Parts: sequence; C-alpha cells; structure tokens
Amino acid sequence: MTITETSKIGIAILSLYGTLDALSAPELRNNRSIIDPEKTVVIDLQQVDFIDSSGIGAIVSASRQKRQPSGGIVLACMNDRVRKVFEITNAQKLFHIFDDTTAAVDFASSRQSASA
Amino acid sequence: MKTILAFRESEYAWVHEKFPCVHPLLLPLCNKPFIEFLIDFAILAGSSAVRILCDGGLGEVERYCEDGSRWGIDLSYASIHPDDSIHAMLGKNRKFCGEERVMIVSGFSFIRYDKRYDYKSFASSMPPGEWSTCPGGRITLTGVPTKAVPDWLIADLSLMPLDSMTSYYQASMETLKTGESRYVLPGYGDEPECAFGRNVVISKSVEIRKPVSIGNNVQLLGNAIIGPSAIIGSNVIIDRESSVESSIVFDNTYIGEHLEIIGRIASGNRLNDPKSGASIAMEDPHLLSGIKKNRHLRSLPRKIVHACVALVMIAAFFIPFIILWPLLKLGGHWKSSPASFLSERTDETMPLAKVEVDASGAAAAIAVALSLDRYFRLFWVVTGQLALIGSTPLLAGESRPDAPAYVPAYLPGVFSYAEAEEWAATGGDATIVERFHLAHSNPLTDIGLVIKAFINRFQEKSTI
Repeated sequence: MTITETSKIGIAILSLYGTLDALSAPELRNNRSIIDPEKTVVIDLQQVDFIDSSGIGAIVSASRQKRQPSGGIVLACMNDRVRKVFEITNAQKLFHIFDDTTAAVDFASSRQSASA
Repeated sequence: MKTILAFRESEYAWVHEKFPCVHPLLLPLCNKPFIEFLIDFAILAGSSAVRILCDGGLGEVERYCEDGSRWGIDLSYASIHPDDSIHAMLGKNRKFCGEERVMIVSGFSFIRYDKRYDYKSFASSMPPGEWSTCPGGRITLTGVPTKAVPDWLIADLSLMPLDSMTSYYQASMETLKTGESRYVLPGYGDEPECAFGRNVVISKSVEIRKPVSIGNNVQLLGNAIIGPSAIIGSNVIIDRESSVESSIVFDNTYIGEHLEIIGRIASGNRLNDPKSGASIAMEDPHLLSGIKKNRHLRSLPRKIVHACVALVMIAAFFIPFIILWPLLKLGGHWKSSPASFLSERTDETMPLAKVEVDASGAAAAIAVALSLDRYFRLFWVVTGQLALIGSTPLLAGESRPDAPAYVPAYLPGVFSYAEAEEWAATGGDATIVERFHLAHSNPLTDIGLVIKAFINRFQEKSTI
C-alpha cells in the first residue's frame, strides 16, 4: 500500500492506494499525522482496492488516538468495496464519511477550529 | 434534479422487532417494497439520480435495487452518521449533489402521492425549503428553482409516518384501496382492484372478493375465501377452507386449513394484531424439521395396544378368511409372492408376502373390503415386528431417498396413516401425513385411525 500525504488549510489528507490489510496496516498506524492526537486527518479511500479487518482496525485505532474520537479521523471518497466492509462491521457509525475530499477537509477544519 | 433518501436505524427499529425476516426498507406495502414507492416518487419528481443514505446496513437493499438501471436512474448508496442534519447530509454528499437541485426525503414515512400529478414541474419550481412534513419525516428541496411556478399547478402530496405496525397496516390497506389509480403496483389483472402475480394456482371453489393483491407462486386451495382487502405475498399457500380478510400475508407464509385471518398480519409463523401490536406463534405440526427419531415410535404401550387390536382382528376375521382364502386361491384370484421390505431398524429387512387379489368376483370384493389380503401381516404385529398402523412398507433392494436411514420417522404398518386420511394417499402428501402421525399420534388415536383406514379401504376399487 502507498500513502500519499498532503495538507490543506492545516488538515492532513492521507490518500491510500492499494491494499489495506494486516501487512500494510502498521504503515498507516505508525503514520506521523495519525499518531499526533491533536491533528485532524482526512483519509481518502478512493484508491483502496481491498480492505480487511486489520485495515478497519487500523483506522478505528487511529480514531481512538485522537483527542476528538468522532471528528479526529474523517473518511472521504469511499468506494463500494470499502463501504461494504464498513457496513458489515458496522464501523460506518464511528466515522463521518464524505464523498468528496474538499467537503471532508471543510468539515475537519470546522471541527478543528471549534475544538481549538 | 437529484434525490437523497435518508433513513436512520432508530426510525425503523420496530420493523426489525416485528418482522425480522425483512429489511425495513424492503417492507412490502401491497406487495411492493417500501423503497420502490420512494424511488417511483423520485422519478415522478424528475430525478435522474437517487442516493440512499442510512446509518445501518444496506446490503439487502443494494442486492434488490442494484444500480437502479431497472428504473432508468443512477442509484447509489452511502452511510450517514446517526446525528447528521440535512445540512450535514448535503455536505457529506457534495459530489453527488453537485450544483443541481436536490430533493431530500428523510425519515421512515410513506409518501401519499398520485402518479397523475405533475410533480416534476412542482419540484423544479418550488422555492427551497420544506415541501411536506410529518412527525418523523420530511421532504425538503434545496437549490435554486429552475422554473417559475405555473398558476395551474396542483400536486397533492402528504406524508404518513410508518412508526408502528398500526400505521404500516393502515398504509398498506390505503394503498390497496386507492390501488393502481395513485401508485404503480405489481401484478396483472383484467379487473380493477384485483392484481395477481405470476404462477398463481387458484382452485375452482376459491372465492375472491375485491380488492385483493396476490403475489407470485401462490396456491389458493379449495373453498378458501380471499378478501375483501387481502394482500397475499409471494410463495404463500392458503390451505383449504381458510379465509383471509382485511389482512396482510407476508412472503413465504403458510396459512393452514380452516383458519380465519381477519384484520391481521401473518408473517412466517407469527400472527400479529396491528391494532394492539400483540402477536402469537402459529405452530405448524406438519413441519418436519422438528420431528426426530424418538423412543415414542418404539414405545412399549404402543406395541401392546397394536398387538391387542391385531389379536382382536385376527379373531374377528378368522372365519371369513378361512372360507374365502381357499376359494380365491383355487380360483386364481389370490396371488401371493414373497418380497423383502425395509424394517423399522436401519439396514434391516423383513420378508412379507405381497398379496394381489383380483376383486372381479363377489368373494374377492368381500375379501378386499375386509382387508383379508393383509390378514397374514396381523401376526407380525403380534410379534412386534410390524405396527398395526404406520408407514407404508417400503420395498428393500432399491436405493431410496425415503429409506429409514435418511428420514426422520418410519414405522412400517399393516395399514398406513395415509390410508386413514381423506385425501389421496399418493406421493409426497402421503409421506407427510404418515410422518406427522408417527410423531404426534398415541396408542388411542391409532385405534381410531385403524378404524378409519379400514373403512376407507371398503371404497377401494383397485386390487393390492
């Protein structure tokens, strides 16, 4: 899996490419923006072609590391494959999910400024 | 124009409780899933794309609706957070909404629309804001109107919350009564208020009172009365002399004989009262899943009673037998050949004579009427190797799916339970009847059934 990190109005955007499984999950878990409890992160899942329970676990544990558990990690551009896995595990209730990265960044920014 | 249909699990939690077999969004209203009514309305309002949002699972809905190509629209699915407002929903689906006008239907409520009205002009000309509302549901329009409001425009529309079984029942009955004039409903029919699905088998004696809606693969058996105001789902059997009035029967439900279903909702094995919300379980004793081989089949009291009755019959028919048997044997009307039959015990067989009596003469007719062709088998009952009444003995030596090793109940008898029943003792029906009695009868009822079987054999014309 490849992680590309960009930033927009102070919000880190992690774009994931490839497979998010047991092998690649630690890479996401150990990402600098993810570890930082103060930082709000948008994860773009558009290019994720496979996700398993370890991948879901990495995203959920990332959310738990944040000061704002429900707003610290915002998910964007979830494709159907990924959405179905989130639905099966009922993990969709834990996150705010956007179909557009810009909207997700706007939401994350408003959350960050509200908590500041 | 685009439409968002948004639901929250908390709004339809009652459906999970009352009708656990069906996804709430696929809850049938007049044999049409709830979500289809909303999609129809979205299309009437001029939507080219619809997105279904929910904070719960949408797997079943997605499998049913797929990508919306059957309606000629783009159908997509997304998740929402339980606390999301309409503004938040629009933000989360910004890419879907784009710059177009969006209609948001939120809440688990039924839209009372009329397909004859021009909702498309109405939706595109209304100012942004609430179009219609009810407790727990609303229709909201966002974006700039694309048309000016025409003077002549009328678009009757209201929302009805589906928050309980009572409101669901009301909505279903209302849909059935207003019928095809307001909504697009499934089924075919030459007459109004009478819609039938595919492969519906109706006995000649069935009475149908309009309005009714009947699904696919339905069997309505003799003297059943359907309607008025009956909604019968798909894969349903309404058995003999039962009536269904002002009621809803869900898919895959069996309504047994001589039952009156009035003002109820039957779902699987539950019968619900929509007014009080009370429900009872309907136990179908013919269901074979619960029947297991048990000690009851081989119980000693049963064998003793069978042996005693067999002794009485041996004594009672001794004189007719001793007179008629030699006569028929000498006349060539009595043909007997040895055969091997499957025993009660797995992998064991027993030799029983296979007797054929040509009932053309008076003596042979009396012999058949008195079941003398089975006289020798009565001795096997006394020794406990055969039951007086049980299953029809199965011939050994063939690979049979109904052999004792594979079936839950088999007890070969001189008479069979199927012979005691009124209907034709053939094929699957006979097997079901036999297994039912094997599991449920007791030594006393067996005596009554032996008498019944004996009387029924009087009417037999054919030889055995």
